[in-house]
Amino acid sequence: MTTRWSKKWAGPTVAVVLISSMLLSACSSKEDAASGNAASDSSKPTTLKVELFDRGNSPAGYTITDSYLTKLVKERFGKPNNIDVQFVPVPRSEEIQKLNVLMASQSEVPDIVFTYDSGTFNRYAEQGGLTDLTDLLDKNAPNLKKFLGEDTLAYGQYKGQQFALPGRRLVLGKYAGYIRQDWLDKLGLPVPQTTDELYTTLKAFKDKDPGNTGGKVIPFGVSLASAQYEPLLWSFVQPLTDEQKYTLTQQLGSNDYPTLLPGFKDGLKFMNKLYNEGLISKDFGLDKDKKQLWQNLQNGLLGFYTEDAGELYFSANGGYENLQANVPGAVITPVDAFTNSEGKHAKPAYAPNAMYVMIPKSSKNAEAALKYLDWMASGTNLFDMQFGVENENYTLVDGVPVVKPDATQEAMDRIYNFGDLAIIVNGKYAGDDAKNEAAYIAQTPEKYQADMKKSVEISNTDNIQPVKFDHPIEAEAKYGTALADKFQEIIVKMTMIKPDQFDSNYDSMIKDYMASGGQAILDERTAAYKEMSSK
Amino acid sequence: MRNSVYLRRHWQLYSLLLLPVIYFIIFKYGPMYGVQIAFKDFNFFQGIGGSKWVGLDVFREVFQNNNFFKALRNTLMLNLLDLIVSFPAPLILAIMLYELRITWFKKLAQTILYVPHFISWVIIGGIVLQVFGTQSGFINNLLAGMGLDAIPFLSDKNYWLVTYLLIGVWQSAGWGTILYLAALTGINKELFEAAEVDGASRFKKILHISLPGIKTTIATLLIINLGNMISIGFDRPFIIGNVAVRDYSEVLSTFVYRVGIESGQISLATAVGLFQALVGLIFLLASNYASKKLADESIL
Repeated sequence: MTTRWSKKWAGPTVAVVLISSMLLSACSSKEDAASGNAASDSSKPTTLKVELFDRGNSPAGYTITDSYLTKLVKERFGKPNNIDVQFVPVPRSEEIQKLNVLMASQSEVPDIVFTYDSGTFNRYAEQGGLTDLTDLLDKNAPNLKKFLGEDTLAYGQYKGQQFALPGRRLVLGKYAGYIRQDWLDKLGLPVPQTTDELYTTLKAFKDKDPGNTGGKVIPFGVSLASAQYEPLLWSFVQPLTDEQKYTLTQQLGSNDYPTLLPGFKDGLKFMNKLYNEGLISKDFGLDKDKKQLWQNLQNGLLGFYTEDAGELYFSANGGYENLQANVPGAVITPVDAFTNSEGKHAKPAYAPNAMYVMIPKSSKNAEAALKYLDWMASGTNLFDMQFGVENENYTLVDGVPVVKPDATQEAMDRIYNFGDLAIIVNGKYAGDDAKNEAAYIAQTPEKYQADMKKSVEISNTDNIQPVKFDHPIEAEAKYGTALADKFQEIIVKMTMIKPDQFDSNYDSMIKDYMASGGQAILDERTAAYKEMSSK
Repeated sequence: MRNSVYLRRHWQLYSLLLLPVIYFIIFKYGPMYGVQIAFKDFNFFQGIGGSKWVGLDVFREVFQNNNFFKALRNTLMLNLLDLIVSFPAPLILAIMLYELRITWFKKLAQTILYVPHFISWVIIGGIVLQVFGTQSGFINNLLAGMGLDAIPFLSDKNYWLVTYLLIGVWQSAGWGTILYLAALTGINKELFEAAEVDGASRFKKILHISLPGIKTTIATLLIINLGNMISIGFDRPFIIGNVAVRDYSEVLSTFVYRVGIESGQISLATAVGLFQALVGLIFLLASNYASKKLADESIL
């Protein structure tokens, strides 16, 4: 099976790679072709090719390259600038493979490409396949530069050069806690505000079973998804010096992991205690995708859990609505329960960047590409792409666009893939931070909006920002995925083990983690920090 | 001269053969070009041809990796236990089915036994969770109802091993009977009749007619099974396994997936694959040789 597997993998690569290596060498020999001039010749329009995710969900009457939004771009940006905008569809699920092939073929590659994958961006940048946008950005895209801001732009830099324009992420808070208010009321308990209070509450949920679940109560719902364990673990991390922050954090994939941070062990010990006292779901180690967690929640078995802020309230997920249908009288309150040694509600947050928008080195239309992105960031263009038409798609309430619940299908279809066209932002941009948040909250049913607002507030409290070096740590790319698996193994084993075996097993597991690449990452980060602080 | 006449006369047959031959060349031999990745520091942009040769460095890295040996040990352990538990199961089932005389019941039993083979492992994984889960599983709910302690079928590695093996038997035993049943049908009926006349009991007939009659089939299947000792399917350990029992559930195929495909260390994954193929070949030749010596049965 496996042998066949690796060969199967190798098969297509042979062809692709052979072709791409020839083409790549051909294009790298060409000197910076990117600064060609665009739209100067009024008779002949410049062709600008833009990548577009195809999710196979175009509504009837539209195709992926011919829809309300593509027409809007052609009308409002293409015509006045004498630029013929063409969209190059790329299947969402094979995005990276397809992008690799496109990048390798000098003639076919779109002028604007993008990916969420930081590894892919780093590889392109490292191998010199991207246009340096540092000067072009100042010259051609002042609005875009202002819109993205320095913080976000920093994520598109590779060793000091601006090789990508990272989209701006609007919702940065990640997590909030949720607790059954009706259970608290029944037991006469206050909403827990600290980790100690939470522990007492969980104990009471277990002992008194206020939901009459017949012993099936799960006081604290946990799964193997980071939203369920990160808030707890990070709240045990001790205050860090800058050096500790940079050297001891391990970024595996796109998240920072606390494996080596002081306090991590105490967090695991707490989880171990909760588990051995029967306060955590016994099967949490089997629940990779939160499926069981959500089932238990909707069946009214969960007392408390942490989750991506607001996830509960979106109608598409149906979590809260189903719970209230199954268990009449069930009420959930957002809560910020975990406190760290300083009494703060420390929890991780997102980095302020989204998709990496890149212009390949082989593109001759870098200027036109930047003009397009700048156009998107100017005036009401982005707003119109994301929200559609006033009074048909949305109504303005105090300047905040609120999606019309009774919008016609035709109106909804117009902006069906706005997220894939509005590549400079992740989330709906309503004008400023306050309006964005209001618009974000306005997406949930009205009866939940107060709780939604509270969730967002909690997720933005005492945030721990991701740590960032000016160049990628190679060991993290190499060992990241394997170590992320190891990390989960540590959590599950250390939680489920008998308390008297905790210490000895913890040491051997961390040793194994270090030997599997943790040490290599630590060494590289230590060296990178030295280099950075000596500058 | 005679050969060309022969070819001309039967050209249709040869052209029929062409298609499978092309299939093997393109999909089985062609990709072997990629095996050289195991000896190179593979770089996607430079391609297979352009990547640097590194000799046996990749293999050195593999053999220094503790997790590799753990995966190797688990592969051999799971396969050996599977051989002990799962190999006799279809044989016993087939003989029992063959002894059945009521046709409709026999047919029904066969169908019911086959069904699990056609269920995807992903679905079996879901069923397993519903049945064996510690908190939500059907069996443990029953136990809890009787006031007994829950059994961690899936989260304790020793219990998991038993669960893994029994699920394997359930899934594959019915399907495995097909070859034996076919072989049993091939036994001359007169032998049974003669034995009956001589007053042989049912058990004696099984022992002296049925079993010797399908000896070749048993030997063949055993050789194939032994040859596959080192390779293990991906779906079953990956889906039935979980983080809590990775000490046992991490096998070579899941190791290759995690290290090679997930982390993009293609060289390492190819090296492990090549190693597996080599050891597999040795196992196959050795068991074939042993079988030839011991039972005078061989498939090569």
